[in-house]
Amino acid sequence: MRYLVSLIFLFTLNLNAVEVVLQDPQLNEPAPKFSALDSNGKTISLDDFKGQPVILEWTNHECPYVVRHYKEDNMQKVQRIAKAEGYVWLSVISSAPGEQGYITADKANDLTISRNAANDFVLLDESGALGMQYGAKTTPHMYMIDAEGILRFKGGIDDIGGGAKFFRASLTDAVNYIAMNDTPVSKNQKPDIQESVPYGCSVKYNYD
Amino acid sequence: MKVLLILLSCLQLSLLAGESVNSGHAEVRLLSNLQSQQDETFYLGIEMAMDKGWHTYWQNPGDSGGAFDIIWESPEGFIIENVSWPTPELIPYPPLMTYGYEDYVLFPFQVFRAADSNLGVIKATINFLICADICVPESASIEIDLSTEQPSSLIADGIKSVPNRVMPVSLDANNQNLNLGFAFDGTINDAYFFTDNQGDIKHSASQKLRRLGDNNYELILEQASLTPDQLSGILKINDSGFIVMPTAVDASITNSFSINLFQALLFAFIGGLILNLMPCVFPVIALKTLSFIKISEHAPHQAKWHGWSYTVGVLSSFVAIALVLIGLKAAGESLGWGFQLQAPEIVGGLALLMVLIGFILLSDINIGTSLTSVGSKMQQGQSYSNSFATGVLAVVVASPCTAPFMGAALGFALVQPTAMSLIIFIMLGLGFALPYLMLSIVPSLVAWLPKPGAWMETFKQIMAFPMFATAIWLIWVFAQQTSSTDLVILMGLILVMGFGLWFGRSRNRTQNIGISVIVLLSVIFGLASLDKTVTQKLAEDDSLTWQAGIEEQLQAQQQAYFINFTAAWCITCQANEQIALSRDPVKEFFNTNNIKYIKADWTNRNDDITNTLSSYNRSGVPLYVFWKPGMQTPKILPAILTEGYILGL
Repeated sequence: MRYLVSLIFLFTLNLNAVEVVLQDPQLNEPAPKFSALDSNGKTISLDDFKGQPVILEWTNHECPYVVRHYKEDNMQKVQRIAKAEGYVWLSVISSAPGEQGYITADKANDLTISRNAANDFVLLDESGALGMQYGAKTTPHMYMIDAEGILRFKGGIDDIGGGAKFFRASLTDAVNYIAMNDTPVSKNQKPDIQESVPYGCSVKYNYD
Repeated sequence: MKVLLILLSCLQLSLLAGESVNSGHAEVRLLSNLQSQQDETFYLGIEMAMDKGWHTYWQNPGDSGGAFDIIWESPEGFIIENVSWPTPELIPYPPLMTYGYEDYVLFPFQVFRAADSNLGVIKATINFLICADICVPESASIEIDLSTEQPSSLIADGIKSVPNRVMPVSLDANNQNLNLGFAFDGTINDAYFFTDNQGDIKHSASQKLRRLGDNNYELILEQASLTPDQLSGILKINDSGFIVMPTAVDASITNSFSINLFQALLFAFIGGLILNLMPCVFPVIALKTLSFIKISEHAPHQAKWHGWSYTVGVLSSFVAIALVLIGLKAAGESLGWGFQLQAPEIVGGLALLMVLIGFILLSDINIGTSLTSVGSKMQQGQSYSNSFATGVLAVVVASPCTAPFMGAALGFALVQPTAMSLIIFIMLGLGFALPYLMLSIVPSLVAWLPKPGAWMETFKQIMAFPMFATAIWLIWVFAQQTSSTDLVILMGLILVMGFGLWFGRSRNRTQNIGISVIVLLSVIFGLASLDKTVTQKLAEDDSLTWQAGIEEQLQAQQQAYFINFTAAWCITCQANEQIALSRDPVKEFFNTNNIKYIKADWTNRNDDITNTLSSYNRSGVPLYVFWKPGMQTPKILPAILTEGYILGL
């Protein structure tokens, strides 16, 4: 009985408290469930997309890495490819208020239009709870979840990697892991490459 | 005038040392230490004086950011090497960790030139990330003319910050950790290993330093997802960097369990056999055997099926216990074997069960679906479900005994993958069920047993007393966990139960059910009303109380220690205290050799202790750990201690 009570207690604790550490979701296991507000004030849950593959993109429109991916229409191109394969694309902003990349819902919608983004929803995760749940370290940081809710990919969007060389390398010549994995993951299969080193700016959680 | 001259000469120097370029958040310039026109090797340096609080990155930037990138243009006959990385600093952005250089850095580059090459202009274009809370990619194009350039003394400082001594290390994989072992003379204030490759270890995980004795240390790194084949990087000790050459990770410790699995299965099997002789189990098994003698006399062909029913009962109970444990562990509970005895409700309930069985054995009472029925019904032959139930009961009454006697073996089982844990529990059950099963499938063995007769009734009654003895022990454990008020509640419940038994034996079936319900309800309410706020400790002695992390503290102080992981409900633990630990010669031995005696009391649930036990690959008590300066790792002592053994440490 005591254990049952403490189990329930632990369970509710996990739901309510914001963890202060980054979790590390396991590949080929069910992706962590979440609910978050989107830029239209709607609550979006992972469960809403049962039967559809989902891509999570951590973003920060002021981060130079993200800026370049969007300026050269690279991110949007990957979004369009994914959309054609039936994916739901969720862009997540985990910047804390006052930190770089933190934006209001209206600004988020403006950005989607001005950058011609093909994402489905922009999630405003100002508490950082969703970011920490997924262990998002950088912008961009990508996650692919198949139609059965299994996490199939996590990491950097391509093989360029961080460092100043990123700003000279060709985005189109790089191996883009999302584009590469689109087909197997949409068929609920394990892609060849499931993990890459995430690179970019740090996610601007509230560090205090 | 003199001052002016000095000022002027300073000005002159700074003009000579390459033009500095402001890239936005840093002043960047190119320097050289070329002393004479004849030098064939020298260094170039790129100095970055960053705005206060801004940083740029090491080759492995950690969780975010990235290293710089450079393009050289040099006269013919020059070879400019890759950068010699200065030892980086930790730049934490919790929950992330990055590696780099804050405020100022000088990157040295070694240069080789052909003797007949002409000194001329060297140009560099450096692209880098410079970050404070935010990151900005910046770029600087800088140049110097080697034919007129004065050597800069700053380069020597830059080279000094590059590690040049190699530190030989060992790397052992241990579960999710990588233990980096090294030797160092002198005191270590702090140590940190910067890994060359992203994705080998968790950058943000704290790296715990353990002194293994003498000048041997171990830095505990947390691996990222998979155990890397090798690691290389920079080991920073007290602000000096040491080169760690690529070193293979020894994963043999992690894989060693396959060798031990067979042993674990064997021990589980033997342990199960021995369980039959436990004071709390023996009466139940013995009585079952008695009934069995009757059965094989009347209907030998049925005996086999009774044997199997009993075995299935035993096995399914063990599997059920294993599944509950595995489930709770998977749900994040830190539990060890014996956890069931950490809840006073369960200890109290088991005590009641023991007394109940004792009463039944002493009297002719035959409770409706009596699990231990040995009375009149036996003549008509028992149902198979009865044999199954006996198997279940045998495991239930055995459970307080398995905890103290089999903690170590089951501890091993629980740290294994789920399938392995299950197999080990099944082996335990097989061993437990074997004696009875053998009797039932090899009928000739029955001939070895005494013939049935009047002695059976006497034997049955005698068997009540081991049950009472077990109950006394459980009540003592209960008293350790709770208050005297709770003890009175438990005693009251025994009274109610005894009265119910007596009152019920002359009544009819319906009334019996009513009485059973009343007794059961009072037991449930009684146990539920326990006031668990008062928790007594084990008998006080001159031991220290264990706290998480005390081992590291004592090792750092070069203080020898002996830790006794114990619990009131652990019989082996109590025996060891009587036979060895509380003996005067042992106490004296600890005193004269300056060994700190520490007690970790696991009578009630304590997650810190559970975690520490599992770090020794145990999930139960007793566990005795000894360490003295000079030892690489603490020594795990046998589960059974003697005075002589401790004095020989």
